[in-house]
Amino acid sequence: MARKAQTNPQLDMTPMIDVVFELIIFFVVTLTESARKDESITLADGKHGMVITAETLPMEHLQIDVAAFDKKGPGRQRLKTPRISISDREISLQDVKNIVLERKKRYGHEFPVLIRADERTPHEMIRHVMDQCTAAGIWKISFTAVAEDNTSDTKKKKK
Amino acid sequence: MARKPQEDPQLDMTPMIDVVFELIIFFVVTIKPQDVFSRLNVNRPAPAQSSAEQTNDPIEEIQVGEHSRSDRKGVYVYNGKPYDIKTIDPILKKISSVSSDATIVVRCNGKSPHGALVDLLDICYKYKLMNVSVFSM
Repeated sequence: MARKAQTNPQLDMTPMIDVVFELIIFFVVTLTESARKDESITLADGKHGMVITAETLPMEHLQIDVAAFDKKGPGRQRLKTPRISISDREISLQDVKNIVLERKKRYGHEFPVLIRADERTPHEMIRHVMDQCTAAGIWKISFTAVAEDNTSDTKKKKK
Repeated sequence: MARKPQEDPQLDMTPMIDVVFELIIFFVVTIKPQDVFSRLNVNRPAPAQSSAEQTNDPIEEIQVGEHSRSDRKGVYVYNGKPYDIKTIDPILKKISSVSSDATIVVRCNGKSPHGALVDLLDICYKYKLMNVSVFSM
């Protein structure tokens, strides 16, 4: 049998390119799925709550973020009025009502509204957000909590 | 130039395996597990609705007050007596053993931290008390 040349100019790159493309597509798809959210929020623990998966929470839901602290890195300041945002875009209480009202018209009063609030937010502010939801006709509201803490930095933040 | 046969039994798989291994190692190293979130449902009854939906199920009221300085967790008041997050647990267990359809009415002080409410809701879920209404004071 003839010895194969070390450098083969006819090397078939097809399978390698196939695999690389497939991986690129896979990661592009999975990365865009991670929703944008307010990263400054520290959630309280809720081990016993309904675990959020694609099956238990439909795609058509609304998560309202309520943050109590400044976004900037270390030495963050407590905000005088908590910051309300959806998908990391700051909105006013009036906007909350309008958005919830519009969703309720489209999906009915069972539309899931989740409030993802910092555990240090005073209840008063949560109340304002809840009142806007009730004014729009949504009586059932959920709070987001941490069922399983896999990223250690949330534990660190708590101290 | 001679035409290459369609099926080459000597096809060099080495670069492909190299790349695949490198990618596997890269993703094993970079992927970190994500937090799993849960949701705790509450009802926000309208004054008219709550009187219309009168049932025979017992209604228990727990108040969430402004947290004291020594204890970061909320202070709960049930039947006029103060509790903290550990001592309220057996109370809710008792309520659920009497009737799992009991309605828990949580009255929150405006200054109480949201975490105190979520902690209480978590215990309600632990004992399968699903009828939780949140009122604000």
